[in-house]
Formats: sequence, structure tokens, C-alpha cells
Amino acid sequence: MNLNWTAILPEIFITLTALGVLGIDLFYTRYQKDKTLNAIVTLSGMGIAFLLLPFLSAKTQIFTSLFVLDPLAIFFKMVFLISGSMTALISINYLKMEGFDLGEYYGVLLFSILGMMVMASANDFILIYLGLELMTVSFYVLSGFFKTDLRSNEAALKYLILGGFASALFLYGISLLYGVTGSTEISYIAGYLTEQTRTGADSVAGVTSAVLSHPLLSLSLIMLLAGLCFKVAAVPFHMWTPDVYEGAPTSVTAFMSVGPKAAGFVVMLRVLLVALGALEKQWMVILAVISILTMTLGNIVAIAQQNVKRMLAYSSIAHAGYILLGIVASARVLTAGSASVVFYILSYAFMNLGAFTVLLALRKEDKQTGLMVPAMDLEDFSGLSKRDPLTAFLMLIFMFSLTGIPPTAGFVGKFYLFMSAVDANLVWLAVIGVINSAISAYYYLRILVYIYMKEPKVVQSVDNSSSLWVALYVMALATLLIGILPNLLFNVARASVVSLF
Amino acid sequence: METMLWVIPALPLLASIVTILGGKRWIREKSHWLPCIGVGISFLLSLITFFQVWNRGTLHQVLYSWISSGDFQVNLTLQVDPLTAVMVVVVSGVSFLIHIYSIGYMHGDEGYHRFFSFISLFTFSMLMLVLSADFLLLYVFWEAVGLCSYLLIGHWYYKKSAADAGKKAFIVNRVGDFGFGLGVMLLFTTFGTLDYQTIFSRSGEFVGKTFPMFGIEFDLLTLTCLLLFMGAIGKSAQFPLHVWLPDAMEGPTPVSALIHAATMVTAGVYLVARCYPLYNLAPKALFIVALIGGFTVFFAATIGLVQNDIKRVLAYSTISQLGYMFMALGVGAYVAAIFHLVTHAFFKALLFLASGSVIHALGGEQDMRNMGGLKDKIPGTYWAFLIGALALAGIPPLAGFWSKDEILMGTFKAGYYVLWILGSATAFMTAFYIFRLIFMTFFGDFRGRHGVEHPIHESPPVMLYPLTVLAILSIFAGWMLGFPPEHGFIHTFLAPTLAETQGTAPLPETTEGGAGLMFFSILVAALGILTAWMFYVKRPEMPVRFAETYPSTYDWLLHKYWFDEIYDTLFVNPTKQFANFLWQGFDDSVIDGVINGIARGIDVMSAKLRRLQSGYLQQYALSMVIGVIVILGIYLLIV
Amino acid sequence: MLLVIIFTIFAAITIISAGMVAFSQNIVYSAFSLLFTFFGIAGLYVLLAADFLAATQLLIYVGGILVLLLFGVMLTHKIQEVNLSNESMRLAPAAIVVLAFLGLLSIAIYRTQWPTVPVPELTPTTARIGTLFMTDYLLPFEIASLVLLTALVGAVFIARGRVKK
Repeated sequence: MNLNWTAILPEIFITLTALGVLGIDLFYTRYQKDKTLNAIVTLSGMGIAFLLLPFLSAKTQIFTSLFVLDPLAIFFKMVFLISGSMTALISINYLKMEGFDLGEYYGVLLFSILGMMVMASANDFILIYLGLELMTVSFYVLSGFFKTDLRSNEAALKYLILGGFASALFLYGISLLYGVTGSTEISYIAGYLTEQTRTGADSVAGVTSAVLSHPLLSLSLIMLLAGLCFKVAAVPFHMWTPDVYEGAPTSVTAFMSVGPKAAGFVVMLRVLLVALGALEKQWMVILAVISILTMTLGNIVAIAQQNVKRMLAYSSIAHAGYILLGIVASARVLTAGSASVVFYILSYAFMNLGAFTVLLALRKEDKQTGLMVPAMDLEDFSGLSKRDPLTAFLMLIFMFSLTGIPPTAGFVGKFYLFMSAVDANLVWLAVIGVINSAISAYYYLRILVYIYMKEPKVVQSVDNSSSLWVALYVMALATLLIGILPNLLFNVARASVVSLF
Repeated sequence: METMLWVIPALPLLASIVTILGGKRWIREKSHWLPCIGVGISFLLSLITFFQVWNRGTLHQVLYSWISSGDFQVNLTLQVDPLTAVMVVVVSGVSFLIHIYSIGYMHGDEGYHRFFSFISLFTFSMLMLVLSADFLLLYVFWEAVGLCSYLLIGHWYYKKSAADAGKKAFIVNRVGDFGFGLGVMLLFTTFGTLDYQTIFSRSGEFVGKTFPMFGIEFDLLTLTCLLLFMGAIGKSAQFPLHVWLPDAMEGPTPVSALIHAATMVTAGVYLVARCYPLYNLAPKALFIVALIGGFTVFFAATIGLVQNDIKRVLAYSTISQLGYMFMALGVGAYVAAIFHLVTHAFFKALLFLASGSVIHALGGEQDMRNMGGLKDKIPGTYWAFLIGALALAGIPPLAGFWSKDEILMGTFKAGYYVLWILGSATAFMTAFYIFRLIFMTFFGDFRGRHGVEHPIHESPPVMLYPLTVLAILSIFAGWMLGFPPEHGFIHTFLAPTLAETQGTAPLPETTEGGAGLMFFSILVAALGILTAWMFYVKRPEMPVRFAETYPSTYDWLLHKYWFDEIYDTLFVNPTKQFANFLWQGFDDSVIDGVINGIARGIDVMSAKLRRLQSGYLQQYALSMVIGVIVILGIYLLIV
Repeated sequence: MLLVIIFTIFAAITIISAGMVAFSQNIVYSAFSLLFTFFGIAGLYVLLAADFLAATQLLIYVGGILVLLLFGVMLTHKIQEVNLSNESMRLAPAAIVVLAFLGLLSIAIYRTQWPTVPVPELTPTTARIGTLFMTDYLLPFEIASLVLLTALVGAVFIARGRVKK
């Protein structure tokens, strides 16, 4: 056995950091007044892992046949580490204010990132499943982290039960696929199915005839899709999203709307485009319908929300719909389509985290108790531009980007997505996407109307901690920079997906 | 340098971003450092670029392609030809001086970092505007400078008048930009590209082509030029879209100096000069440019005669001077227009900064009726002001004389005698109103009550240094650049750009009779100063008597030809009423039926779909299973 | 033939006891029925020659998890009230959905031409599994341990008393 340990160095590092944080917290930080040390250790761990990645990127590396470190995996690991460190940054003061400044938070956060990283690199369904579980279990804990808050409890419980259900479906899909192909390894399955396509009905060995029209294959495809669609919150597997997003701590919601989604999509890219690439005709239609349903439902229901956190939850559902559209397009234009998906995921990570961060930073005075509590409602945003023009302006950037107005990342991202749909001869799909963007403008810009055109209704204050603002600036700048210099990143995205095929 | 062009705009941008992000939290009262250094370095780089262009001709740099997807490509290209070189140096230079000046002027302001960030951002946008090599980028930064101007006019946004002025500037400019946008689109549909070089080199092919609109066949190039000119009218505050500029004086004085005198408002002039190859092929459009310019020259000066707000006098003067430039462009005296643009940038910035120094000294007082006798109290400012005024009035050998005279001469020679008469009459009025300002401010007795509780003080050196530099430029720039007339440095420098386009330029090459005309304009200017002296120093009761004798004329001028009121009656109120009508009459009946129907449909749907989100776990799981079953059913039973 | 009979018995035990888990009105009964479900599945594993899996199924699920479950049930409620209600609700929609799903699965199973392999010999697999865990499947093995660790940390965190402010 010749194991290439360098391939999993970042993962090892994250694991050590996670264990380190738990240990340090247990023996040292717990007894200190200032608990920032936990966050510092977490951030430096993620930083080192992040810096390791480019050095490993020279060529595809393999740690047993189960684990590959190709450019796509590296790209996504970077996305996870960036969004993870942003989450850690915005959490520091938030946890302090909410009274849950504990080491477990960072430990579990790191484990969830580890899970995502494993998913990004997995070349085997067993590993995918384990990564998925590691990530999901971490989020069960994280979403219930405010254990004295009933809504947080509710979120954790709902996520746990439905997540378990979705995992079961996914696992069922894996076992059926194993039954048909005799392997759980993605590259093997891909090769096997492609060969079956070529040889067609007259296969030898008596194993199967016409494997591709095998009902079991469709069954497993649908089960796998159901499990993945749950993770990325696509209709009709999205029902958990609003409730869990609303109940979970806002910092966790922010991360949950980005990390697991990105991880779900990278698995989707590998499973659909590589492993089940031969079945593209089948999954294309399902995904197209799911994509349309997802963006339409997400956008329409978002309009009715008065609670901004819930509204952003629906908005994140809609964005999953846009990304699915790109995956549908990549069935026909492989590189352009999947590159646009990858590009959009990174853009989305920045703008969505940014929007959630503004929400997290904003607090209002509770009329009864006089305490500052998290602001959640549209009304709480009114007149923010007068109280804090800078925060208001950053929110404007994020909302513009989420709507898709140039020169922001969201615009370019949508442009590439819809363009790839057009290239794939799916003009109608692109048109539906554009119509949906128009609908979404209504509720995104409504927040800006409240911020800029209404008089303040409640006493607001904005979290002033440096760590949060560093993160906020990074996200706003990234949102703008990607919008201004998109070609650089798009070339990286394209290079990262080329290795897939 | 060719590959470093991008650094020139990038530095102010970087400074702006860092300052706005870190200003409130970390940099605070040191906010001026980065913008000053950034703009300073880009000024030095501009100078280097300038000399390179002088030696080697036009520079190009393709920065990157913004978006490329198949055939669709948007490239970002920078270009420095002689015209741009002049503009870049003027913009970065004046901007640098004004940055320095602002350190003193804005000291202690609540939005100190915001101010520096925005003014740096403006410098970036303005530099990009002149550096861009295609109409798309030009248009983007055309809007960007407008936005910066809006932000800076409204710097003291809590003041209602400032916020309103910002809004007014923004809306009035929209009118012009609407035309400009249409013009750019027309260019794109005609040429299939927005690249300057391609458009200008191919424009000859489209002479005489027509463009059908509303069933009428318009001459394609004339229409394009006029649409582009609409943008210029708005940005350069020409009649009839001039109304925003005087109100824009609500902004801090450095902003007025930089944006509303030296740089942004000249963007219109730059635009027309840049598109000269197009205008040359559309003589009708040129005629209209000359006409609008000529009328604005005269009309703005008449209003300037009676204004009492020190900055408003300068604002009307700016409108009038910009009119000169357009007049020059219209009659084909292209170099003269740019020449005047440069000298005007120097002396008008000087005047504004000096007026800012006056206002600063008086703690915010802007009404000249409350000033007077400041000559000995703030001598530095006085001398700076005097130099600026002499330059504006056109007294040789100061800067304004050379360029203004060249414009008048060009107009005369091109045969536009009416415009020449208007221009000369305005030269008289210009001398009159600017010296009226000097006499009211610096001579006589102090009429305000300000000094009692707050002694009048000269501005700090950090404000006086820029004044000195600008004063020196106002004295020397004219003859250094433009002597001998029509064959000076600026003429030879700009010649390459002009050469490509001069094919049909109507500018005659004779200098005969020049001396006579020159003498005449000096005489006119001197007469203006003398009249002002008569009115405001010798016999101060005369203006009052004049106003009493001709009350209607006085009122007419004081109220700026009632333009604001006319616009209110003609456009603003009807629009409001129409909006009200739409809202109450039309909206409730028709729109409700159609659009609201859709919106309500979505709302209802939204509410219904929302009810699916019951909160019951079982139902969520059920929906997942149903989802799987439906998909599976379709696959197994139908497909 | 004998195998078929044994399979049918184990399958029947699994399904019937699973049904009792779902439909029993008493949560203690449900928990006990689960025991038979696990047992039946262990039997199926044996039939598939997966001796290690069968043993772990009995050891961990029956011996560990189920006992824990029962402890949980007993401890969370007062032991006197044995009448722990566990009502089945909304039977009609559930029945429709479940039957539809069953129907579709049956169709899929019926239409499939199953690949068949000869009945494997009953050889001990434990050693091979052990070797694989330490070689080819080292990574999944380690990650599984981290999943458990995370679950452990989370469980301890949530179960622990309130945070002192």
C-alpha cells in the first residue's frame, strides 16, 4: 500500500485543529474570561489548510482510489474554507452576545467543513456518504446550538429527522446502484455505464441486458437525486429549509445556506456528470423540472415573507434553482455549463454570506425589555441608511448582487448560467430564469426601499466588532471584484471542471 | 508607461476604497493621506504619460476582457491620445491641488473620510472617462461621475437644500443622459461596435444615410450627434439643462471647484471634441452646438450680473464659460475649445477655492451683501481672487485672455457674426460681474456681523498653497500654451488628433485682422471692469437706482429668467399631477385590473404556497416522499 | 429450497415486527418489536454469508442501541404510567403514499432482470474486513470515527446543563 499522504494534508490539518479547539477549550479557554482564543485557533487552522491547497494543486493526486484531489476538489475546498472562516469571524461577537461563546461551536464547525472537504474529494459513494453524514451531523448540532432557545431546538430536531430521512433515501440509492453496477467507485461506475452504452443490448456475461434502461438504475438515480436535492434545498425536498434556517443561530444559517449547498452541488457534479453521465437524458428532464419549480417557488414565497431571515431562506432556495439550471445545461455543454455552476457557487457564497452577516449585525431595541435583540423583520431595517450609511450601502451591494444587477458578482454569475443554458439550446429555461430574476428583484429591492426610503421605526444598532467587519468588507469587496473582474475567476472555474471529464 | 496606464486611475480608486472602508473605524482624521498620495502619484504618472504622448503619439492598453461568452465580448481598453493626455493632466493635477486644499477646508467635518473617499472616487471615474477607448466605458463612467457628483453635492445630506440639490442634479442629468444613452445605442446598431477608432474611421461610410423614426427619415449622423450632444448639454449645464449647476453649489466648495468648475462639467466639451470626426460630417449638428453654446454664453452671464451668493455668481460664470467652449466647438475652433477648457480649469478652480477661502474665513457666510472690505483682512485670498478674476475677465497676459480671444476670433472668422457679438457682449459682462464680486467682497466696508464673535482669519497654509499654484498657472498657462495665437504649444500638440479629422473642419487658416480683434476684446474687458468700479466703488447707489428704474428686468435676471419656476410649471408639476392621475385615476381602475391582477395573483399564490409550510414535520417528510413517488411514477409508468 | 424457507421466515419476522413498531399504540411495545426487526435482519445477513455483519447487528443494535432506547423510554417518563401513548395519525394519506411507493418499487423490482450470483460459501469474513479497514478503506474508517466523535460532542453538549452566563 502506497498512500499519498500529502493529498489529505488539509483534511488532517482541519481534523487536528478541530480536536485542538475542543481540547484547548476543555482545559484552558473555558476558564478564561476572554474566549477569543478558540476562534483564533480555528481561523489559523483553516488559514493553514487554505494555504496548503495551492501547493497541492500541481496535478491530480490520489489517496487510494476513494479519494482524489483534482482541481475541482481544490476549488471547492477553498470555497468551504473561505466561507467557513467568514462564518467563524462573524460568529465571534455574535456568540458572545447570545451567551454561547463555547469551544464546541468551533470544533463542530470545523468537523462540518471537514465533511464538506471529504465530499468534494470523494471518488466513492461510501466516502461521499460519510462526508455527507459528518457534515450533516455537525449541522444538527450547530442548528441547535442555542439550546435555551426553543426555535433553535425545533430547528435542530426537524433537521435531524428530515436529514436522517434524506440520508436513508440517498443510501438506498447507493445500494441500488451498487446492485446494478457492482461497485461504489465513481470512476468505475462511469466507465461501466459508458461501456454499456457502447455495447448496447447485446452484453455478454449474462449480467444485464440494456443496463441503461434498467428500472433499478432509474430508481437509484431518483433516490440519489432526492438525497442531494434535500441537501441543496430544492423543491420538493426543501420544506425543512425555512423552518431550520429561521430557528438556527444566524451565523449557522449563514453558513448552512452556503457550505452544505456547495458541497451538495459538487457531489451532484461528480455523480451526475461523471458517474451517471451516461444517463444524462434521464436526469436532465428531472432536474430541469426541479430547477424551474425550485426557483419559482423560492421567489414567489419569498415575496410573502416579512421576516428577513425567512425571506433569505426562500431566496437561497431560489438560488439553488438557478444553479440547478446550470447543471441541466452542462448535460449538453459540459465545460461551459459546469464552469458556470462552479463560478456561481463562489459568487453566491460571498453575496449570501454577506446578506446574512448584515442581518446578523443588525440589532434592535426590544420595546418591552429595552434589551438589544437580533433584528429580523423588514420593519427593523427601515431607515438604516440614516443610522448607519455604510452598513446600508453594503446591504445594497449584496441585494444588488443577489438580484443580479451589474457590476456585482451576482450579475456575472447569472449571465454565465443563463448563457450556458442558451448555448445548450435551452433558451426557454434561460427565459424562465430571467423572469424569476425579475420576480426576485421585488423582494430584494423592497429591503432597500425600507433601508433608504423609510424613517426608522425602532432603535437600531449595528455590531461594531472588528472581526465581523473584516469579514463583511471581504465579502463586499469580493462581490464587487468578481463582478468587475469576472474573467479571471471564470478561467479558474473552467480549469477546475475540465479535469472532471 | 504603455502597460502602466491602468495605474493612473487605479491609485485614486484604491485610496477611495480603503478610505471608505477603514475611514470611520480606523483611519479617521488621517483620511486625507491615502487619497492625496494616490492622486499625487497618478498626477506624476499623468505627466510622464503626457510627455510620452508628446514624443511617441497615442498609447493604448487593453486591460482585460470583462465578459466573454462566445461572440459576446466586452473589452476594457485604455487609450491616451493628445486630447486625452491634456485632459488627464488637467484632471489629475487640479484634483490633486483640490485634495490638498480640502485638508484645510474640510478639517473637522463629520464626514471627513467620506468626503475624501468620494472625491477620490470621483477622480478615478473622471480619469476613466477620459481614458476609455470606447463609448461603453465612456458611458459607464459618464454615469459614475454623475453619481459621485450626486454623492458630493449631498455631502451634508441632513441639510434639506443639499439633499434636494443632489437630487435635482441627478434628475436633470438623467434627461441628458437619456439622449446620450440613445446615441450610444444608435452608434452600436450602426457600427456594430463601440470602439472609438473603428467608429471614427468608418464614419465616412454613413454620410447621407438616414434613420427612420416616427415615420420621418432623419439624417443618421446628425441624429447621432444631436443625441450625444444631449448628454453634453446635461453634464456641462448648457441651456436648457443648466438649472442644476447653481443649486449644486450646496456641496462643499472644493467639490464645486473640482467637479462643477474644473473637470466634470467639461466632460460634455470633451465628448463633443472626442466625437469631432462625427460632428465634422454633420454640419447641422455642429450649427446647433454653436447656437446652444452661443446663447448659453450670453444668457448665463446676464443672470450672473445680479446674483448675490458668491458661489452662484461663479456657477453662472462657469455655465457661461462652458458656453464659450461649445461655441468654439460649433464653429470648428476645436483647439480653442480645449485650450479654454484648460485655462478655465485653472482660473475657475482658483476662483472657487478662493471663494471657499472667503467663506471659510467668514465661517460659512456666502452672501456678498454681508461681506466687504476683506482686502486687508485676508490678503492672500484677495490676491489669488484678483488674479483669477483678471484671468476670467480676459486681461492679457493672463490665461483667460488667450483662450477666450481665440474663441472669439474663431467665431468671427467662421462667419458667425451674431455669435461673435453675443460673445463680445458677454466678455464685457464677464468682466463686470467678476469685478462686481471683487468689489463687493473685498472693497468698501464690512457689512456683516460675523467678525464680532468670531474674528476673520486667513486660511491655513494648506489651503493657500494650492491657491498659489493655481494663481501661477492662471498667470502663465495662457501664453505658455497658446502663444503665438493658433500656433502655440497646445496647437501643435493637439494637431495629430486634429489632423485626422480636419478634412472638413471649417476653421480658416488666416490670422489677418487678428490684432484688431484682440485689441477690441481687451478694450471690452477693461470697459467691464471700469463699469463695475463705477457701480460698486465710485457710486454704490447706482445699482440700487438701476434696480428701481428697471424692476422687471432686474427681477427677471435675479430670478434667473424664471427658469426654475417655468420648469416647475411646465414639467415638474404636470409630472407630479400626471403621476397623481396615474396613481389615483388610471392605476386604481386600469392597472388594478391588469398588473395588480398579476401581482395579486402572485401574492395570493405566494400566500397559498406559504401555507404549505405548516411547520409539521410529518408533512415535510410526506412532501419528500410524494416528490420521489411522482418522479418515479413518471419514469416507470409513462416514459 | 431450504434457503427460501429460511429467508421467508426471516423476512416475515422483519416485516411483521417492523409493522408492529409502526402501529403499536404503546411505545414500549414498539421498542420491543424493534428487537425482532433487528434480529430478522441479522438472520438475512447470515443468509448472505455476511457473518461479521450479522454478529455486529446483534451485538450493537440489539445489545447496545435497543437497550439504550428502552432506557431512554423508561427514564423520560414516570415508570408508573406504562400507558405511553403513541397514536398513529392520518392513516389515510400515509396509506396512500406508502402503497403508491410500494407499488412503484414492486414494478421496478418486477421489471428488473436481476443479476444472479451463486450462493456464496460461508467463510469467515472478519479478518478480511479488518484488513480492508486498515488498508483500502482506511479513510472511510477514520471518517466514520469522526462522525461518531462529532455526534458524541454534540450529544454531550446538548445534554449538558444550561450554560452559566
